[in-house]
Amino acid sequence: MKHLPQNHIVIPRRTPRRFYGHGIPKVDLERLAGRLIVVEGADGSGRSTQIAMLVQWLEGSGHATTQVGLKRSSLVSEELEQAQEGNILSRTTLSLFYATDCADQLENIILPALKAGFIVLADRYIYTLMARDMVRGMDEAWLKNLYGIALEPDAVFYLNVPPEELVQRSFAKNTALDYWESGMDLGLSRDMFDSFMKYQTTMQKTFRRLQATYGFTIVDGNRSADAINAELCKKISAVLAGK
Amino acid sequence: MKTFAELNFPGRLVAVEGLDGSGKSTQIYLLKRWLELQGLKVYFSEWNSSELVKAATSKGKKRELLTPTTFSLIHATDFADRYERHLVPLMRAGYLVLCDRYIFTAFARDVVRGCPPEWVRGLYDFAALPDLTFFFKADLGVSLQRILDGRPQLKYFEAGMDLRLSSDPYESFRIFQGRMLEQYLAMSTEFNFYVLDANQLVERQQATVRELVAQKLNLANFRRAERPAPRQSSRPPKTVGALPRTAKVEEAFE
Repeated sequence: MKHLPQNHIVIPRRTPRRFYGHGIPKVDLERLAGRLIVVEGADGSGRSTQIAMLVQWLEGSGHATTQVGLKRSSLVSEELEQAQEGNILSRTTLSLFYATDCADQLENIILPALKAGFIVLADRYIYTLMARDMVRGMDEAWLKNLYGIALEPDAVFYLNVPPEELVQRSFAKNTALDYWESGMDLGLSRDMFDSFMKYQTTMQKTFRRLQATYGFTIVDGNRSADAINAELCKKISAVLAGK
Repeated sequence: MKTFAELNFPGRLVAVEGLDGSGKSTQIYLLKRWLELQGLKVYFSEWNSSELVKAATSKGKKRELLTPTTFSLIHATDFADRYERHLVPLMRAGYLVLCDRYIFTAFARDVVRGCPPEWVRGLYDFAALPDLTFFFKADLGVSLQRILDGRPQLKYFEAGMDLRLSSDPYESFRIFQGRMLEQYLAMSTEFNFYVLDANQLVERQQATVRELVAQKLNLANFRRAERPAPRQSSRPPKTVGALPRTAKVEEAFE
């Protein structure tokens, strides 16, 4: 679907904001004029394709955008990468390391961009981090407190793609399955294919559980990129109109 | 929250807390020497010392990238790394673990920096409490003098300069450390701190520390096992086996 640049620019309506928990100290929520839109989903669910399409559409519609994603903070991204390669950190540590990365981007990118009235597109947010940790047996209440620092987004879309399809997409792109996306650290199966299927199935179940608490929109990701994009644009238009 | 003893760990953990320059590191070093010289199994762990996390922390500090929230989280990451990889296994192996600062440092420091107390405490609730905690209470003037004796200038975060309390580092240090002291004293009863007068002579403080450690912990339990003399030199040395792997995770997925 081609989006032609519009002459009529929609001015986003202000809606009340809140943090999930204690939040970040000394942040004036009233000043956050922009919008935070999150796209969640497994690797191969089409997140980056959708975000690229959304940027085109939003900028064409006269909105300024910024993008954030996991492991992109200037504070700890390199160290996190190193830690994952060596598989040397235990669970609580890795969890807190990811939370640090997330908090750094929240304070240094997301909040300033929202103050400046930008639309922030997040390629995954706290939900992936929580789901990964929950699958690994971490305490849900502990995670909820930890991520109480997070700002509640204006919209969260979870691109749902069945594991059978994810595995096909993964092979169409790379020759091997990713160690972490296959949950190999969990010892579910020595067979990587089996482990991938089991892990992704459990992750989907966990996402559905989180959906009940955090109320995000589950989007059928097993369709053409254009069809998904059309649905996202429609929903985001509603968000911008304050509906 | 429970102590390691209450959780039935065979090891025991002793922590020292206090303001920068209170002399606590000297005291725990002397305690460590005393225990080692008795042939006991001792391990010493310092705040902010996990190799991997340290790189990120020092980068953050140098470039002043840290906010109260990320400052708190990165220290929690460092603590979790040491806790899971060193402290817990050593406590299970029946060691006397000595910690120069423990979670109380975070409880005091992060709250002074403006983080919500319940949030900070929640972050650390995976950790067991020490079996014995010493708090070294020194006058601010004494702490400041001790730090300045060691190095010519106060460090940025140590003086709480990030809080913009004062543009004068000494004044900022005084205000920051004063607030830290309030936080420490407020939790002293709750966490059973043994408060020591850190204005006293090193030897006098150390005498009290050793006396209390001997009284509260059964030191005989921490003696290294006598290594039996090898009967046959041809026998290969026994390797220390790894802990049995748990099947817990696997079960959860069935």
